[in-house]
Amino acid sequence: MKGRAWIGSALWYMGAIALALWVLAPIYLIGLLAFSPRMAVYRWPRPLLPLEFSLETMRFFVSATGTLAATRNSVVVALLTMMLSLALGAPAGYALARFLFPGREAVRMGILMTRMFPMAILSIPLAVTFIRIGLYDTPWAVALVHTAMALPFVILITASVFVSIPRDLEEAAMTLGCSPLSAFLRISLPLALPGLAAAALFTFVISWNEVFAAAILTLRQRTLPALVITVLNESPLYFRFAGGFFMVAPALVILLIIRRFLFNLWGITSR
Amino acid sequence: MRNRWLWTLFLSLLALLLACQPAATPTPTPAPPAAPSPTPLPPTPTATPAAPPKPVLFLSTQLRPVEEAEKMRNVILKPFGAPVEFIPEDEGPFHDRIRAEIQAGKVTVDVVGALHGNFVTLLKDNALEDLTSLMERLKDRPMIAQFVELGKLGTDRQYCIPWMQATYILAINKKALDYLPAGADLNALTWDQLRQWGENIHKATGERKLGFPLGPKGLIHRFVQGYLYPSYTGAFVTTYKSPEAVEMWRAFKALWEHVNPQSTTYDFMQEPLLAEEVWIAWDHTARLVNAFKERPDDFIAAPVPAGPKGRGFMPVLACLGIVKGAPNREGAEALIEFLTRPETQLTILREVAFFPILDIPMPADMPVHVRLEGEAVVKQSSAPDAIPALLPVGLGGKAGEFNKVNRDTLERIVLKGEDIQKVLQEEAGKLQAILNETGAACWPPDPPSTGPCQVR
Repeated sequence: MKGRAWIGSALWYMGAIALALWVLAPIYLIGLLAFSPRMAVYRWPRPLLPLEFSLETMRFFVSATGTLAATRNSVVVALLTMMLSLALGAPAGYALARFLFPGREAVRMGILMTRMFPMAILSIPLAVTFIRIGLYDTPWAVALVHTAMALPFVILITASVFVSIPRDLEEAAMTLGCSPLSAFLRISLPLALPGLAAAALFTFVISWNEVFAAAILTLRQRTLPALVITVLNESPLYFRFAGGFFMVAPALVILLIIRRFLFNLWGITSR
Repeated sequence: MRNRWLWTLFLSLLALLLACQPAATPTPTPAPPAAPSPTPLPPTPTATPAAPPKPVLFLSTQLRPVEEAEKMRNVILKPFGAPVEFIPEDEGPFHDRIRAEIQAGKVTVDVVGALHGNFVTLLKDNALEDLTSLMERLKDRPMIAQFVELGKLGTDRQYCIPWMQATYILAINKKALDYLPAGADLNALTWDQLRQWGENIHKATGERKLGFPLGPKGLIHRFVQGYLYPSYTGAFVTTYKSPEAVEMWRAFKALWEHVNPQSTTYDFMQEPLLAEEVWIAWDHTARLVNAFKERPDDFIAAPVPAGPKGRGFMPVLACLGIVKGAPNREGAEALIEFLTRPETQLTILREVAFFPILDIPMPADMPVHVRLEGEAVVKQSSAPDAIPALLPVGLGGKAGEFNKVNRDTLERIVLKGEDIQKVLQEEAGKLQAILNETGAACWPPDPPSTGPCQVR
């Protein structure tokens, strides 16, 4: 009996370790080679321990024209996207979750259908429109497009978050003197916050990784992925490792910070 | 408690956003580092206050890799008086952007730098200024006449002004020299000798050490268009399914026995050369140069091998042009004049290893990697049996599909082992469909045609 339990937990841990390695090993290798001397990248067998350390490639990449500005643009665009899509998506999600109105399913479907348009066919008309209204080559243009891309996810996530919060709680608050608005602000919103945080995180990641719209809508105000894709695609291997690490690191840090809220979200929606 | 935490997070994000706000407004970017310092020396009292030179926006599909782009900004463009914003971009977004700016009627790009083939597309989009008068002023430069002619894009006006050239050669690890077949001259190899060479290495070491860039971003289609076909059939489109072509594919299949199977993942041959996964590789000079630069003592460069009809090779021409309605036409013309000066051309060669389009001697103080490649390039183009082949001309947006047909032909015959006759029949049909649709006339080495080029 005891023996079997031991095997079970051993399997469990082995599975967990395998999964962790599957995710962490590539990140480790990217990090290792990003901080190795140039020629170490071509050595065989590849060194798996950080025996040699060099900042040369990383320093060149970071100090290259545009890298820091692009990083700043990426952060600005991602934050703008987060604010815009939450401001638009959360009320829509709330409405879908709380009110039964005619055409509700059609609205749901319509939201998903916006994801069916490939960016590639929209690129030139979008660029032309943004040039005409003067938003071309600004973080706002990219943030607006990213918001359009992220909205379906935000609406669906927030709808499921609000569905899981019992309406009774709001009604109870209203019997105790809350207006519908203050009932929402004091009862539903705090309960929904972890879910909203997860939606925000998701938006951040969508925006942080998006290349195509960012590449066509910006010229001087490049975002990091747009810069990296043009500059690193054809650069030698060691620069690709440096650039890869530079792209992964901020996302990792943000994930680590926001991790606890994600666990909260699962605690709520699995009820 | 937990909620308060979340509120703090949200508020701090909001604060961060507001703090970043100035960057979000559409203010013009500060000048790049190549620009003169914002606080110039106080003007002499006698001089009339001159307006600072307007920056030139230079969009380029060339010199994209990070090191080259930095060299361009910090070294090559430095002596140019006015600030230049050099922005490299992939071909797809490059054409999309120019098209969008022309359509919207508000152009921000001044100078474009791209391959000759891109210019044909730009002209079709009606996006180029006529530069005939500028060319007239550059008459004293010893520009290679053939390139000037190409820059007219088949019209009688000058739209593209030659900027720099490159080509494809062989890079060879010195370890391979021990196995060179008897009687073979490194500077006048044949494809048959290359096969023999690969076989010798294969037998001696047990490894397949030839390499070709067959990866997703590799340039193997250029190999089919400019090297394989011209060497074996003397032409390309017209002889696509000729008996000589069948013979050629049979020979290439035999050679493939000694090619590293990892070739299907190689984009830039300098990487596997430096990792010593391959010893002999064919690729673009800019995609080999790092091998020569990092380990100049271990690698040598050689002209490509010849086939029964001659030594097919592809000179690559990059051009400069001015976008129609460019906001800074004057600065754009000055920049083009600057980039085609002999001394700038030599700086480009020294720094990024693209070759001059001027007929000028190479100074002795060039870095080793440039000399290694340069000698091979000269030997290749001046070989008595050389057959220069152009990049496909006039295919516009269909160039990618055209390349894919060439790549498919090679993959089906060599990798999948399909019947050569059948593959050539089918792929030649696809090739012809693209040519008919675009109306592209034959380009060298195919004989000139009236109307779309025809596969015989």
